[in-house]
Amino acid sequence: MSTSSRSRPWIFLGKRLAYGLLAILAIAVINFFLLKMAPGDAAEAMAGEAGTATPEYIAELRAQFGLDQPVLVQLGHFLARLATFDLGYSFRYGEDNVTLIFDRLPATLMLMSASLLVAVIGGIIFGVTAARYANRAPDQAISLVALLLYATPPYWIGLILILVFSVWLGWTPTSGMVDVLAFNTGWAHVVDVAHHMILPALTQAFFYLAIYIRLVRAGMLDVLSLDFVRVARAKGISESRIMYRHALRNAVLPLLTVVGTNLGGFLGGAVLTETVFSWPGVGRLMFDAMFARDLNLLLSILVLSSAFVVLTNLVVDLLYVVINPTVELK
Amino acid sequence: MMRAFLTSAARNWPVSLGAILLLVILFMALTAGIFFPEGPYVSVGRPLQWPGDLAGAPMGTDALGRNMAAGIFYGARISLLVGFASVAVALIFGIVVGAYAGYYGGWIDNLLMRATELFQTIPQFMLAIVVVAIFGPTIKVIVFALAVVSWPAIARLVRGEFMVIRERAYIQGCIVLGMKDTRIIFTQILPNALSGVMVMSTVLVATAILMESALSFLGFGDPNVITWGSMIGSGRNNMRDAWYIITIPGLCLLITALALNLVGNGLTDLMNPRLRKRKVK
Amino acid sequence: MAEANPQPLLAVENLEVAVAGHPEARILRGVTFAVNRGETLAIVGESGCGKSMTSLSVMGLLPAGVEKTGGSLRLDGTELPITDNRKMRKIRAARIGMVFQEPMAALNPVFPVGKQVAEVIGEHMSLSRSAARARVLSLLDQVGLPDPERIAKSYPHRLSGGQLQRVVIAMALACDPEVIIADEPTTALDVTVQAQIMRLLKQLQIDTQVAIVLVTHNLGLVAHTADRVAVMYGGRKVEEAPTRELFLNPQHPYTRGLLDATPHPDRQRRGGKLLNEIPGTVPSITDPMPGCRFAPRCAFAQADCQAAPPPEEGPAGHRVACYHPAAWAAQDKTEAPQ
Repeated sequence: MSTSSRSRPWIFLGKRLAYGLLAILAIAVINFFLLKMAPGDAAEAMAGEAGTATPEYIAELRAQFGLDQPVLVQLGHFLARLATFDLGYSFRYGEDNVTLIFDRLPATLMLMSASLLVAVIGGIIFGVTAARYANRAPDQAISLVALLLYATPPYWIGLILILVFSVWLGWTPTSGMVDVLAFNTGWAHVVDVAHHMILPALTQAFFYLAIYIRLVRAGMLDVLSLDFVRVARAKGISESRIMYRHALRNAVLPLLTVVGTNLGGFLGGAVLTETVFSWPGVGRLMFDAMFARDLNLLLSILVLSSAFVVLTNLVVDLLYVVINPTVELK
Repeated sequence: MMRAFLTSAARNWPVSLGAILLLVILFMALTAGIFFPEGPYVSVGRPLQWPGDLAGAPMGTDALGRNMAAGIFYGARISLLVGFASVAVALIFGIVVGAYAGYYGGWIDNLLMRATELFQTIPQFMLAIVVVAIFGPTIKVIVFALAVVSWPAIARLVRGEFMVIRERAYIQGCIVLGMKDTRIIFTQILPNALSGVMVMSTVLVATAILMESALSFLGFGDPNVITWGSMIGSGRNNMRDAWYIITIPGLCLLITALALNLVGNGLTDLMNPRLRKRKVK
Repeated sequence: MAEANPQPLLAVENLEVAVAGHPEARILRGVTFAVNRGETLAIVGESGCGKSMTSLSVMGLLPAGVEKTGGSLRLDGTELPITDNRKMRKIRAARIGMVFQEPMAALNPVFPVGKQVAEVIGEHMSLSRSAARARVLSLLDQVGLPDPERIAKSYPHRLSGGQLQRVVIAMALACDPEVIIADEPTTALDVTVQAQIMRLLKQLQIDTQVAIVLVTHNLGLVAHTADRVAVMYGGRKVEEAPTRELFLNPQHPYTRGLLDATPHPDRQRRGGKLLNEIPGTVPSITDPMPGCRFAPRCAFAQADCQAAPPPEEGPAGHRVACYHPAAWAAQDKTEAPQ
């Protein structure tokens, strides 16, 4: 355990960044070959979209986009374009794929952050409570709910929530992100969006809430059996301080790692949530692209989402080092 | 040993409950053709009949007057088939990758695990959608797509087990005796690593079933079969008035996934002596 | 001993501890001892004899599933409210400090050690932040840690076992407790460090007049530090005497066995073995044997030993629970020593 590795964060950062870039490159290559495996190529798809599918026109398009060249050359072109953030053009939407995705990204990130927050905070509160009352009534109730949430199809929870809270009780809007007829501005707009976000955020959070409750509970039980907890008790500290300060700080470390690996899951789940609630984000865009058979846009979403996960995982790794003093940078 | 295992399994009621529920679902899948020989697509009466309103359609009818009960029975087939088949495929791939990575270690391990991590980075559900988009929405493709997203978890678990078991004396003995690596991997180590893998598989089957239903719900499933997910998807438009249309297939999915999780969790407790001891205490 | 001093600082009387819901599983079967200000009492025995349970009882920290079933625990004449966590919290660390066996595991890995010492002060003393900080540094200095400023900021994994145990001792001392319970404080440490830690405890006792209950299986450790020694076996105290007296004139066969099991060059010189083992194993806590619990392993056991547990007897300074104390003395006269 030397101090040297910890005092050289730049080397650690550089290595992680290099690995991240390599991962994005690998994902792009996988993506390229997936596209190659699809029946028909981009030229045919484009010609189909443009409405004039004559063989001459397709051949022309092929030459224009370099599709008549060897696969490796094409891969080179593809990666070169990717490096300049050029993921092609969607005829369906008459817009750059990258522009399309980035326009929808804020809505998705907002929903994702809200649901992540619900899942993590709820997971900690319920997980700690369950651990504190291990094998007693509160723990059994929480564990049962977690088990049910984990086994429920998330999109179905979304529908049921709409049915109960929007249709029957009329408390929340059924879909969308804003009340389009209200033309709210300023604070009213924020409240409006938050109101629209309650159900989708809950829907997307529930599955992960279940995972985090279990994780925090198990982590807390492990930590609570360690010696330093007994020492803390011998110090005369209150039980809740032991729980929330001494034990939790140790138990949330694995939670952070798991949240990092779940980010991709949150994005995947966004396809369902945003479709159910007509939330104008990347997930909904993916659903539309699928129906429009816009393969290129689909793959662009996949690549950018993966890149996003790689980058956020990098941040999570750094955060982990900040939070956990016992980690040595490698 | 086996008897002790079985008696403790009997005492562990969640496992028993899970197993019974699974058997019920399996029964539905197997008897769909007997109870509903006409298949799930035939209109049996007026549309949107509530459960109990129409004799012969105990779960009501959908927007096209089709028998919901028939859909549920036939849907059980697809859920179980896709769930178990995709995990079986994922098992083969995940075990091979994990076994070689854990057994050899070093750069092979590094390479294989980096690849595994890569697949875990890609948003799973999105990858499944793209695979279906590229290869077309058939049961085979969906099984393949779900296998593609399920194998990394298995590979990582198998690798971990192999790294531990590999160091045990009897495996070192096999190596000294000059036994071939492949033989050690598959006849000596794998059987000892399988119990944990099986437990994880039950939970993965549940996840796969939920994911298949999600694909069907979005309309990306096989259009030639009826599934619980597609029933929810097409029932959405009528859910305000006829909420049973989405509720019944949703509950079926919940029960199936719950049953698999109960079995999986229960088996974990049974196999983990540390936890077992804690419980007795 | 109780007669000698009408009100000892910490008095444990007939302490009974059993597994909750299983009164037949008796972990402690009536343990009595007392300790005065500035005095060190050592509680010695094999693992499983109940010595750690005794110290945890005093702290009110019995593990879940274990409960006190009888007897009394008095600090300065007042019964300790060991089942009332809220009241007990005010006593822990403030009046009774504890030092644990594994210094590496005793500190929370995610907080700097200074913060963990400060936490005790913050809990029990109303000091300003800067005063608390100053106290932490002076405590770290007091327990012999060089460069307290740096140590206070360090995380546990950066410090050695000896350093960590000094921090734990600083934590135990932080609120000037009247008693310190040290449960195997040096077992996990290197031999050279062991001596340093024991010297430190002794010095701190001279400075502060704190009473120390030293729980250990190591008789060698006891010889230099304890004023009195209580030997425990099978959940009971079998012998108690001033340290020198116990070493020179053990009365209970088990005490003698323990002494024989300690490496002793003198004995080897006298032609004996360097190390003798006590044959057999400790009886289970559920074993309902009616007599002396050491009888099955005792070379001098007779019929009466099996009938009823022997009462504690002997002068106030040296008490022993045995029907045939120092039975070997008679034997040694008739047989030549081996």
